[in-house]
Amino acid sequence: MKLRDGLRMATRSLTGHRLRSALTVVGIVIGIATVIIFASFGTSVQTDVVSEFESTSASEIFVVTGDVGIGDDGGFFAGSLDSFALPAVTTYDIDQLRNIDGVESVLPRGSVDITAVSYSGQTLVLDSLTATTPAAFTEEDIVSGSAFKSGVSGEVVLSESAVERFDANVTVGDTITVNREDGSETVTVVGIATQARGGFGSFGDFSPTVYVPTDPYYQESGPTATSANQGVDQPAYRQVTLVAQPDEVSDTRKRVETYLNESSDATQVLGDVGITVQSTADLVDGIESVLTDIIRLVTGIGVLALFVGAFGIANIMLVSVTERTKEIGIMKANGARNREVMLLFLTEAVLLGLAGAVVGVPLGLAVGFGASLYAEVGFTVPYIWIAIASAMGLVTGIISGLYPAWRAARVDPIDALRYE
Amino acid sequence: MAESSESGAVVRVQNVTKEYELGGTVTALDDVTLELPESSYTAVMGPSGSGKSTLLNLIGALDTPTSGNVTVDSRNISTLSESERAQLRGTQLGFIFQTFNLMTRLTALENATLPLVFAEWDRTQRQTRAQDLLEGVGLGDRIHHLPRELSGGQRQRVAIARALATDPTLILADEPTGNVDTETGNEIMELLAETNKRGNTILLVTHERRIAERADRIIHMTDGTITRVEETEATA
Ligand SMILES: Nc1ncnc2c1ncn2[C@@H]1O[C@H](COP(=O)(O)OP(=O)(O)OP(=O)(O)O)[C@@H](O)[C@H]1O
Ligand SMILES: [Mg+2]
Repeated sequence: MKLRDGLRMATRSLTGHRLRSALTVVGIVIGIATVIIFASFGTSVQTDVVSEFESTSASEIFVVTGDVGIGDDGGFFAGSLDSFALPAVTTYDIDQLRNIDGVESVLPRGSVDITAVSYSGQTLVLDSLTATTPAAFTEEDIVSGSAFKSGVSGEVVLSESAVERFDANVTVGDTITVNREDGSETVTVVGIATQARGGFGSFGDFSPTVYVPTDPYYQESGPTATSANQGVDQPAYRQVTLVAQPDEVSDTRKRVETYLNESSDATQVLGDVGITVQSTADLVDGIESVLTDIIRLVTGIGVLALFVGAFGIANIMLVSVTERTKEIGIMKANGARNREVMLLFLTEAVLLGLAGAVVGVPLGLAVGFGASLYAEVGFTVPYIWIAIASAMGLVTGIISGLYPAWRAARVDPIDALRYE
Repeated sequence: MAESSESGAVVRVQNVTKEYELGGTVTALDDVTLELPESSYTAVMGPSGSGKSTLLNLIGALDTPTSGNVTVDSRNISTLSESERAQLRGTQLGFIFQTFNLMTRLTALENATLPLVFAEWDRTQRQTRAQDLLEGVGLGDRIHHLPRELSGGQRQRVAIARALATDPTLILADEPTGNVDTETGNEIMELLAETNKRGNTILLVTHERRIAERADRIIHMTDGTITRVEETEATA
């Protein structure tokens, strides 16, 4: 039998049972579409997150006291910094870090306890101010106004998310009241920013944030640690972000690590507790690997759905072999070889599997695209998964069709021709 | 092995026994020997269960004997592979059954082309061939009909056209008139007679003496053995 005739006959059999074939294909479509939906949406989120990360915080090196990792234990995102990091990086350390080759700027970050902020009669509960330096604000970060000045009291920068929390429209030049446990202070909003560099994740500061200069706010009321190098107590930070020269991130990171681990005040304060130094590249790798794991897991669920579809094909093909026993006998009496009968049934199963892919892939892409639109992430076409899913349609067809086709080939023509 | 072909026999059945194991042993054919000369027309008669269909199936290479040799076109079917037997059926043999055995979802034309599909003929060539044959059996105006849209007699004619498609050496007909009325039966027998005149060897199984008498000779079977070979008047 010629291949083309085999295809024609297989197609005829399938279209002869339109509804049944369609329902069988639906099982495969669901499996393949699920794979594509999860893969395309997952890949899109991954690409989006990673590119955002890279564009907003390229060449940053994060220093956190305490052992935190990303990826394996996921501790990086768990809980607030205060719960696991110790104030250990002293002002002396910060000066030393600033002098390391390849470091462009040092952005310490700390929090100053407060109880609330209020504006125009509305009070917003907020447990801390975020202390940082003016260098933490890049031009793109500032929406209006400017950064505060270091050493100046009474000036703050609000994050956009903080501005949105107030019903009344806060603009640059307005004053807000900061309430602490021991009193309150009226400060002027000098700028509004989307975020400040030096925070973790750098996806922008989602929660409402009020930024103040470390000098004087953190230095006056923040925690302190003993500077082993200078023999006095100094304000100390839990977290510092370094901006490295873009072409020297990796080497700079090593130098920073060496300093921190060998001669810093921080290492004396921390003792056995380690210090974590990670560059954006490390973080991106970590996030990528976490997301890849998630995509694999969820896509695996789709593969399970495909399994169910495979059983559907096998089931229908077995029914079909029984129903068509007589046809098989007729074909054999007219010269069909066992191999040809087998191929004919296998072709049917493969066509069902491929039909599942042909319908399932575009459907999955459409839903994945819709989900990306909804989640406001850029859509990335998951080419590899399209190939994998199509191959899975084919393989599903072959595997689920093998046993029924083998049964068909083994039909005894004499029995079959007697079959009523 | 088949060196004794002085007479050009198409089929040679030598001491063939066929047993079925079903709990006990059923001997369907018991030491049967038979030759079908080229272009001969042979009928097989006998009571139900006497082994007529079994003999036909062995000669049709649909089955192999328990012992003895069945030679078709000087090829011993016991020594052929499954695929070679399939090829033999597809090209040298044509089957006609009591129950027509047409593919229900294929049209008359497509049914008639079936052996040509497995013999790998070109699509256009095989359609031309099948159309000619259908016209020959008087179904020129029914070629695109499905079997269920045809009468019993018409279906059997499609089956005859199909059996003739590859112009086989031997036509095996197992009670071809069993499911049609007398008049239609006569028309079918007419077609077979014409076919035989064109040179195809025919082996026909029937219950009816009247039908069997169309053949050159009648082989009578009882309990798996040939009891009598009768030359008919048609031979003269
Ligand atoms: N596949 C089989 N398995 C077991 N026994 C079988 C098989 N095929 C035929 N037989 C037995 O072999 C014997 C001969 O059967 P066969 O079909 O050849 O008879 P027949 O002469 O064609 O009868 P009928 O006129 O009823 O068609 C019977 O006893 C039958 O039961
Ligand atoms: Mg019979």
